Amino acid sequence: MNAPAIRTVEEAPAALVRERPVAGSGVGSATGAGLTQILLAGWAVAVIFPFVWMVVTALKADPEILSSPWRLPAAAQWDNFARAWTQARIGRFFFNTLLVLAGSLAGTLLVSSMAAYVLARFPFPGRNVVFYGFVAGLMFPVFLALVPLYFLVDDLGLLGTYQGLILVYIAYSLPFTIFFLTAFFKTLPNEVGEAAILDGASQYQIFFQIMLPLAKPGLIAMGIFNFLGQWNQFLLPLVLMPDENRYLLSQGLYFLAVQQGYQNDYGALFAAMTITMIPTLVVYVLFQRRLEAGLTAGALKG
Amino acid sequence: MSTIQFDAATRQFPGSARPAVDGLNLDIADGEFLVLVGPSGCGKSTSLRMLAGLEEVDEGAIRIGDREVTHLPPKERDIAMVFQNYALYPHMSVADNMGFALKIAGMSKDEIRTRVKEAAAILDLGEFLDRKPKALSGGQRQRVAMGRAIVRNPQAFLMDEPLSNLDAKLRVQTRTQIAALQRRLGTTTVYVTHDQVEAMTMGDRVAVLKDGLLQQVGTPRDLYDRPDNVFVGGFIGSPAMNLVRVVLTTDGAQLGERPVPMKRGVRAALATEGAEDATLGFRPESVEVVAPGQGFPFEVVVVEELGSDSFAYGNLVGHGQEDGTTLLTVRVDARRPPAKGEVIHLRIREGEEHVFSRRTGQRLSAD
Repeated sequence: MNAPAIRTVEEAPAALVRERPVAGSGVGSATGAGLTQILLAGWAVAVIFPFVWMVVTALKADPEILSSPWRLPAAAQWDNFARAWTQARIGRFFFNTLLVLAGSLAGTLLVSSMAAYVLARFPFPGRNVVFYGFVAGLMFPVFLALVPLYFLVDDLGLLGTYQGLILVYIAYSLPFTIFFLTAFFKTLPNEVGEAAILDGASQYQIFFQIMLPLAKPGLIAMGIFNFLGQWNQFLLPLVLMPDENRYLLSQGLYFLAVQQGYQNDYGALFAAMTITMIPTLVVYVLFQRRLEAGLTAGALKG
Repeated sequence: MSTIQFDAATRQFPGSARPAVDGLNLDIADGEFLVLVGPSGCGKSTSLRMLAGLEEVDEGAIRIGDREVTHLPPKERDIAMVFQNYALYPHMSVADNMGFALKIAGMSKDEIRTRVKEAAAILDLGEFLDRKPKALSGGQRQRVAMGRAIVRNPQAFLMDEPLSNLDAKLRVQTRTQIAALQRRLGTTTVYVTHDQVEAMTMGDRVAVLKDGLLQQVGTPRDLYDRPDNVFVGGFIGSPAMNLVRVVLTTDGAQLGERPVPMKRGVRAALATEGAEDATLGFRPESVEVVAPGQGFPFEVVVVEELGSDSFAYGNLVGHGQEDGTTLLTVRVDARRPPAKGEVIHLRIREGEEHVFSRRTGQRLSAD
């Protein structure tokens, strides 16, 4: 279930390897290019094969999975998905996850963009302290915060609630999102804001009607990035969402995997994994270009 | 429509040694087209931004009409500005760009539409109203920026080098259009440019700035004929005024074989200063070709034939120039230009010489 997240992180070195031969020339670089192609092909197989195998297995009947793990299914068992969705309650977990993510993504983008806008465009005493405070949050391992976080959320009466998890997700996503969007807002032309000031717009009108639409590529990039990250989040819901009815997908899947050890319904387990992965895959495939465009726009000019 | 007054307005940027704008005094009449011109870093854009309210005023005051606006926020000043890069809102259509200020002001949709249509008709933008700025050419974007200013019907237009992103031909064309539009609307306009040709052709009056200080303000003709100091003399006019260091004699200055006569008042002024030399300025068109011995010898290095005019660039034979490297420029007969390398003899037409003090740089006037 962590595969898509791993891919986003590993994509960067792959891109670097791909570009290296372009800079050089001659026989050496041709060999280099060939090697790179082989490495990349191997990489692609290593990433794609488990995924394909998972999807294929999700369509097999249980005896088939154990007796002939490498063959294609004799007959597609769509029933596996139905059982995973209803009996294993993956459908329920799916909607829990969507609900939490809808709140946390909207919150993350709103709060981060407002903070980043101010940090990028308004000089005030202590601005750098605030900015580096957020950046420092990037380096803080979430494991260290887990115990105090549990008590904090519990004291607030938010343990096991959607809104509690949403708040924690937002806080968890702020550092990088603010860091990124600050750089992004700095690239936007000053004059557009000044033109809006002269047109009589208030700071809120400028932000919501002018700057936010201009920052759309950055917001989309951060939306996708945080979607992938928050979708794959396991540790936080595990600690903060003890109510079985409100489990998120990652928790639910873990729960299911443990349970399947006793029930021997491997088909449903693989179907559940497939269901879990599909949204991230869809988002990534659909928005990959925009993600790259947004990330590089910030990186090059920021 | 309104008058605009800068009253000793000063802007000192934090951490900077001297003020960006230093005690600027300027009275702009109702309906006037005033151009602020100067080299980069002279404070012309800062002055404009102070008027717009985008820059603080550290000392002095700014008035629009009868109202003191020195510390008012921009939106309470009732002015519209055209930016160098136009600063259009990229995500809005042309119509929305032009109507944004009206929408913010809470005007009804119907009225916004009517006013945007009117402005679009004036600027010939009618067919582009639904397009995004991205889908427009540079000239069209410039007109949208103008349109955004005129729909508001403000007290004053502020323009910050609005033509510098256009190509040369379009710039000349748009220059005329903006000047004509301003005459037609009669709105007080402050226009910033570094291009003295734009300043001369567009402005009712031109204010020349340098190092944050106002050098001179006057009609283009005034600035050209009677520059207050060496800087204005050299800055206004294209090709530029020739500036030569001359040693003073009893009745004038020595230039070539014959002394250039100077008016008594000028000589007296130089004498009170105790000066032994002065800066002599003359426009390229202020010379005439004379027989050898009647003027100063001039060695032609390059000849530029422009059709209607010809300019000869060269050196004064046996005479040091103001900075030693720039060639002098003279206008010669377009039909019979001198050859390269030829030495011709020139004389400055009487009364067309400008004499500047070398100590203060000020123009010394006979009257």
